[in-house]
Amino acid sequence: MPQKNYMKELIERAWPLILLTLILLVICLVVDLAAKEVFDYRSLERTVTEALIRIVLVVGIYIFIGNSGVISFGHIGFVCIGAYGTAMLTANVRLKSLNLTGLPDFIRLETYDVVTAALAGGLLSAVVALLIGIALMRLSGIAASIATFAFLAIVQTVYLNWDNVTGGAGSIARIPRYVDIWVAFGWVVATMVAAWWFQRSRFGLSLKASRENEVAARAAGVDIFRERLIAFTISGFFCGIAGVLYAHYLGTITPNNFYMSMTFVALSMLVVGGINSLSGAVLGVVVITFVIEVLRQAEKGVEIGQAEYALPSGVQEIALGVIMLLILIFRSGGLTMNREVYWPFKSKSGSAQAGMTRAS
Amino acid sequence: MIALGQNLIDALALGSLYALAALGIGLIFGVLRLINFAHGDFITVGAYSLIIPSTQVMAQEMLGALPWPLLILAVTIVVIVLALLSELIVFRPLRAASAATLMIASFALGFVIQYTLLLFYSGRPKAFGLWPELTQVVEFIGLRVPLLQLLTIAVTLVLLGGLVGFLRYTAYGVQMRAAAEDFRMARLLGVKANRVIAMAFGLSGFLAAVISLLFVTQRGIVAVDMGTPLMLFAFVATVVGGMGSLVGAVVGGYAVGILSVALQVALPVDLRAFRDAFVFLAIIIILLFRPSGIVKVKAVVERV
Amino acid sequence: MLNINNITVRYGQLTAVRGVTIKVAQGESVCVVGPNGAGKTTTLLTVSGVLTPAEGTVEFDGGAVTGINPENIARLGISHVPEGRHVFGLLTVEENLKIGTAMRRDRSGVAADIEKVLEYFPRLRERLKQPAGKLSGGEQQMLVIGRALLTRPKLITVDEPSLGLAPKIVDQVYEILERLRQEEGVTLLIVEQSTKRALDHAERLYVLRSGMVQLEGRTADLSAADVERAYFGFDEHAATA
Repeated sequence: MPQKNYMKELIERAWPLILLTLILLVICLVVDLAAKEVFDYRSLERTVTEALIRIVLVVGIYIFIGNSGVISFGHIGFVCIGAYGTAMLTANVRLKSLNLTGLPDFIRLETYDVVTAALAGGLLSAVVALLIGIALMRLSGIAASIATFAFLAIVQTVYLNWDNVTGGAGSIARIPRYVDIWVAFGWVVATMVAAWWFQRSRFGLSLKASRENEVAARAAGVDIFRERLIAFTISGFFCGIAGVLYAHYLGTITPNNFYMSMTFVALSMLVVGGINSLSGAVLGVVVITFVIEVLRQAEKGVEIGQAEYALPSGVQEIALGVIMLLILIFRSGGLTMNREVYWPFKSKSGSAQAGMTRAS
Repeated sequence: MIALGQNLIDALALGSLYALAALGIGLIFGVLRLINFAHGDFITVGAYSLIIPSTQVMAQEMLGALPWPLLILAVTIVVIVLALLSELIVFRPLRAASAATLMIASFALGFVIQYTLLLFYSGRPKAFGLWPELTQVVEFIGLRVPLLQLLTIAVTLVLLGGLVGFLRYTAYGVQMRAAAEDFRMARLLGVKANRVIAMAFGLSGFLAAVISLLFVTQRGIVAVDMGTPLMLFAFVATVVGGMGSLVGAVVGGYAVGILSVALQVALPVDLRAFRDAFVFLAIIIILLFRPSGIVKVKAVVERV
Repeated sequence: MLNINNITVRYGQLTAVRGVTIKVAQGESVCVVGPNGAGKTTTLLTVSGVLTPAEGTVEFDGGAVTGINPENIARLGISHVPEGRHVFGLLTVEENLKIGTAMRRDRSGVAADIEKVLEYFPRLRERLKQPAGKLSGGEQQMLVIGRALLTRPKLITVDEPSLGLAPKIVDQVYEILERLRQEEGVTLLIVEQSTKRALDHAERLYVLRSGMVQLEGRTADLSAADVERAYFGFDEHAATA
């Protein structure tokens, strides 16, 4: 039956994507049901929601870094822009019209629904990524990395100082909080599908080729600048979406949220999971979130017997840094060794292998 | 005219700091193809070594209590040792890794250093006056300028001269340049890889220590993230100057310093707060036209 | 003096050299010939410590040198002149020569040796203060050989000295290498693509193809036809022998 074979091949080809989605779905279902039954599980639900938002973020970054091999320190700038964008569109009109006099009227005097605002936030980030990418993507790998860092600093400086448009260093509060575990999950699926589609597309494949051997890829006619720019823009969009989700999850944002430490945490997740695979990006978030949670508890204090022990603050970051270094030194492909989760039923027929070959 | 002269001194003093920081980054990049994101934190550690580790608000002198020649020596040793340890513990095991991996590792190392400082000193910035007599204003060829600025420029020139002398006229200097150009060939001729790399880290640490002292004297404050902006400007300076060229690092450092001061003067008052953003933007535009920087290096091959 | 015993060298999945054995005696001039990708360069890089063999050993002067890093192998007395010359283009000719003396402590000996190198290569004397990158290809080849000599090697390994040079210059290079062997007692192990040159200049030769030794022998005993058959692998018997 050709129809059935087609379905089977599709499943085999998208297997890592399907498997990751299913695992996350099960986790969400379990937590959601548990959270409804037991009041105490609220904090677990929050942890999982945060982790899902981080998956959007890290997979978003992965779309660029994983395919191009160029390390970017600037993607949190897109998160910041996305969060800011949606916050502006959904924030209370009275608040905006008084404080943010520099905004154009269609933003200052209106409130938009959250879906429009979310898409606008993502698109704003994508447009900025496209524009900034036209300059940055011409640079060599290392110089581009440094320039992305400079971009992050630009976003931060502008945000902090453009008082009548951004509100400056203060926070934007009372952003509608609609992001729960399922909204986050929905965007996780969308982001993973996009990432999967991109890495299997012509663009993604030629970009990966350029990552392995830039000279050979150029010789084969790959326009590295264009491919990188496409990846950068898509990646910018999803990082913007991650920002949108943060804004509507926290209900309040400050520019401080979107700077060095978020960059550090996101990169550590990517590195620990494996920088060159989608599975790695997702696994990295799960593992590091777990580590962070444990350390966060420990910083709050743990009762052992009669005494209470608390780790001093700062230990969390030090631990993450050390884990990251250990992974880089001893397992540079990350926990996944840069591979995708594989199709477990390979022995059945040759078609799985055919799918793999086509992918590589 | 007077205003112009004073601005020029401002620009040169600022550019000097950036040039020193860019050199520290460039020396390591030369031999290892490593962009060291921990360089700013080396500078910060130098500053914190002046005071006693405590989470109290008031800073108490540690190395800062020493008479100045010993103080300089002690701070320099602290930062050099830190740089050498970083090389030994983190970068030596990664010798064969890609440039991207090395860069991420240095980023992680920088965070570890920064939060270790936070652990011992708390995250609050602390006031600490080092050599306040240097901040006084003096007459200099008809201009009234802070003594510290003149000192910064002079110290930088002396260090640049010393570095040029070292690289040109000593056997180790020549080996370092050779290693920067073709590391494998240098090793085949008996140049010891570990020694050359350690030397680059040592020199880089030394330059970082000098910046620590100049910077603390100027700001009168220590903070765990004080090295980050300096490092960022220094990075930008190395990119603008041309990756892999020490001359480029110096040129880039001064270019960024001059650009910063020029924008400070030229921008309307209400845009001055955005100066750094304009500096970075200007640099991104420069790079659009000259992606390999001002000083072109024949071939910067990312080590395989 | 040099014993390469049954080495196998891999780059990841790819095996570049499989079970190669080459022996060089004190004062000998030995050539390794073979087509592109035969594993010649890999073999020399393994000798000089840049690569580590997956199997087999390398012995030099009676001691194992397998797994020792390049700078220490250079100290033991093996100097490798890699393919493509590799002068330090931004350094002056003089500085290039000085790098060759990086590991030496005998200042007076160094000065005398530099003088001797300049007598071998008078062209370099005229250009001492110029950046090595400005030299012609032939001069660069002279420079790297002179530089290798300054490490006071017992054995010089040269990878394709004729690459990209005019035939006349190539003859000069070989002439000088031969003089170095006669006058300075340096042992030579040279990689060459041209069977003719190998037959002309070496005392013994090895033919390498597909990572394996196909033929070895004294050049005096070998005919050009034998060597070429091994080189191109047309004769199946030669290939499996």
